[in-house]
Amino acid sequence: MSDETTVMIGLEIHASLNTKSKLFCACATDSTLPNSSCCPICLGHPGSKPVLNEKAVEFATKIGLALNCKINEDFFFSRKTYFYPDMASNYQITQYEIPVAENGFVFLNSGKKVGIKRAHIEWDPAALVHPSGMGKSSYVLIDYNRSGMPLIEIVTQPDLSTPAEAREFMNLLENVLGYLQVLKPDTTLKVDCNISINGGERTEIKNVSGFAAVEKALTFELARQKQEVKRGNKIEQHTRAFNAETGTTVELRKKETEADYGYIFDPDLVKVTLSKEFLTKIKIELPELPEQKAKRLQEQYKLSEYDARVLCSDLVLGKLFDSIVSKSADAITAARLLTREVLAVLNHDSLSLSDVDVKAEDLLELVQLLSSGKVSDKNAKQSVINYISGDKSSPKVFLEKNNLLISATVDLDSIINKVINANRKAVVDYAGGNEKSLNFLAGLVMREAKGTVSPKIVLEELKKKLS
Amino acid sequence: MVKREETIAFFVEQAKNDFSLVEKNLAGVISEIKNSNMKKLNYIEEFDAADVLRQVAELKKAKYKGKLFGVPVTVKDAICVKGIESKAGSKILKGYKPLFDANVIERARAEGAIILAKTTQDEFGFGTFATHTEKVPKNPFDNERSCGGSSGGAAGFTAFTKNFHVAIGESTGGSIAAPASFCGIVGITPTYGLVSRYGLIDYANSLDKIGAIGKNAEDAALLLEVIAGYDARDSTSLENGFKKEDATIKRLAVIKDFFEGCDEEVKKVVQKKISELRKFYEVEEVSLPLNVKYALAAYYIIATCEASTNLAKLSGLRYGAQGDVGGKHFDEYFSEIRSREFSDEAKRRIILGTFARMSGYRDAYYLKAMRVRTKLINEFNNAFKRYDLLLNPTMPVVAPKFCEIEELTPLQNFAMDLCTVPANLAGLPHISVNAGFINGLPVGLMAIAPHLQERRLYSFAKVME
Ligand SMILES: [Zn+2]
Repeated sequence: MSDETTVMIGLEIHASLNTKSKLFCACATDSTLPNSSCCPICLGHPGSKPVLNEKAVEFATKIGLALNCKINEDFFFSRKTYFYPDMASNYQITQYEIPVAENGFVFLNSGKKVGIKRAHIEWDPAALVHPSGMGKSSYVLIDYNRSGMPLIEIVTQPDLSTPAEAREFMNLLENVLGYLQVLKPDTTLKVDCNISINGGERTEIKNVSGFAAVEKALTFELARQKQEVKRGNKIEQHTRAFNAETGTTVELRKKETEADYGYIFDPDLVKVTLSKEFLTKIKIELPELPEQKAKRLQEQYKLSEYDARVLCSDLVLGKLFDSIVSKSADAITAARLLTREVLAVLNHDSLSLSDVDVKAEDLLELVQLLSSGKVSDKNAKQSVINYISGDKSSPKVFLEKNNLLISATVDLDSIINKVINANRKAVVDYAGGNEKSLNFLAGLVMREAKGTVSPKIVLEELKKKLS
Repeated sequence: MVKREETIAFFVEQAKNDFSLVEKNLAGVISEIKNSNMKKLNYIEEFDAADVLRQVAELKKAKYKGKLFGVPVTVKDAICVKGIESKAGSKILKGYKPLFDANVIERARAEGAIILAKTTQDEFGFGTFATHTEKVPKNPFDNERSCGGSSGGAAGFTAFTKNFHVAIGESTGGSIAAPASFCGIVGITPTYGLVSRYGLIDYANSLDKIGAIGKNAEDAALLLEVIAGYDARDSTSLENGFKKEDATIKRLAVIKDFFEGCDEEVKKVVQKKISELRKFYEVEEVSLPLNVKYALAAYYIIATCEASTNLAKLSGLRYGAQGDVGGKHFDEYFSEIRSREFSDEAKRRIILGTFARMSGYRDAYYLKAMRVRTKLINEFNNAFKRYDLLLNPTMPVVAPKFCEIEELTPLQNFAMDLCTVPANLAGLPHISVNAGFINGLPVGLMAIAPHLQERRLYSFAKVME
């Protein structure tokens, strides 16, 4: 048997949609006090009836289009029946036969195509709260604020081949959802990860939160399956849970087959038909998506593919770039400042752009200083560090306050004379043919001038003096 | 012939000028409800005297005097009335007091109705004789016999009372027509979607229709006009109500297949009535072979599939019957409550419905039944190309004795619905009107109209009366 292992990974991602009211009732989606936002519908009271929130359909349609799916102009809702204390009606309203969107795809950075099987709308169950921790509490509390919240479930084809690809896909998907502005803020994507090797049965790791966790859970599960196969054991289809603390997965239960949920069409709801006008409106409203934007930035500003892709990998970063270059700043300088300096500081401090108060006007000033040669890269970097993690004064203010701008008034001549007089040995060495001594002297001049002159000019002036 | 002085419309006209008529009529109904002999007849599930008095006081001050001004209206238990126990005849919903009024209750109140009491029914509407419940209503013509179901209390009380009153009933497979037939009164089941289901405790949502029961066709029609109308809170509610076009009827057809399983005496009474109708209409015969063969099967599959999901929510968690949770797994607790509180009939339908939608059976039963339903509707629509109304006996028998009902197998029981189920499955409006008596027991004649042609039913029923 060869060592080559074929790995098939498919993901089912659940995301909360950013509608003002719940999926089938008028309850607000932004309440925090437990059980403060519920009504007979989301509590499943007898006699209540669900009424579909059209905004959720609009968001789901946008998601479908952004993932290159076919949008079904007619679709239904179904009841998925199972008993669980968090499920107000003991059935979930979801989509079964005909989802809102199906048969789409996205491309990874490598150019690999990942199929999207379907995207469907469903309602979230209530939240179970274990007051003193799962397993320890002798009782649970139920918070119905979450009951009836709108979710979209996106199911991929098993096209992903490595845990790293799965993580990349998640990043890509979250970015697309971010661009569409359909995600409920401060919620995480919840993922069920399916993995099989060498065409064997698959295992499903339920309810993994966070992208690093997805990669970690799959990495563990891949190694475990390989080990099992090596020992001559057969992988059987079942469900597993991921323990984020230990980074391991454990068996939950044998997988019940899907049809055991006894799906029927939800007879309280009618067939949804998307009108031509609605679809046209949604298509027009669809914003520029990351991939399109990256292409445009490369063409419009001659950015490198890398810079363009990085700028578009985050909605806020891309918007920051747009507003800097809209003031006719040099695009390549702006791109480099954002993708190198700004991101480096953020990554170092484990921050994201939305956590910090970064203003386009402040960065615009810095870009202008950089492109007119009035600040060294090193000082520019310092000013960014201070802007994000220091006293937060704008880069220009910081540079001015610390005399770090390259100015015409600096007395370069006298600094050079001072350095030459204090370092006679290096001068002699240079005269003897040691090029390194010139760099040494230039460094001293730069330090003395606090970086306010450009290295190129220093080198030219030094050569003149010493020849 | 119904005398004008006997109609609700006449009462309302008088009551608008003389509130003492409202008080006198109401006192009459209340004394009937409180009468100990009447109580034994089990028509009333829940009666809250204080709530009724409060309504009367408000009505006295009301500026707008509506179409049901001062009329006591009883409500089938499955229809939610705010703050009043509404349990669809089931033990498992004991103590459930809805936080809201059903749309039909709002509409009736807006027209000046007094919401009087909840009426008894088969648990969740599961039955043809109103015997699948704790309080079994007894036929006013013979107390040893059934009122019919599932809206048994509604029909029984309508026939029983000597006062002005109408009843809101509900039909899934014949639950208005059957008791109307057995109790000798009028029951109208409207087109599916004409009356909002908002506030109805579901049996089978794609079949459930709230309708009207009255002593005569005019009363029932008046109530239906009040409760019908679009409601955004029910997604299946129809935006355009009744067809307002000419309700004249020329040609009728008798559905001959529906006579086949009928009691001979019932056949005779109905046929006699139909021959009298020839004075007014052309009457022909029609056959609906697909409906005869498949309607019952399709109905019971769809109805029980939907019902088995509707009833899933009843698990003793937040309302209705409760139990001791201590130390039990939730599955164990849910099973305990459901085993204890559901009747055998409810359990039978849950098991049937769950089976028919499970993996391996779903295609053969549930999905096939849904497709068959479309074919059955088409068969009706074809018949309506030639005929304005279709006629059949409402029930194959007169009201049976309770001891006879006990002898019926579940299948024989289901077969009793042969004449009422097809129109219900097709969502077609229909009326049951008395056609005569056999040994003092009423026999009903049923007329079926095309979708939204309720007005044809009224004009036909007036001719009948
Ligand atoms: Zn709600």
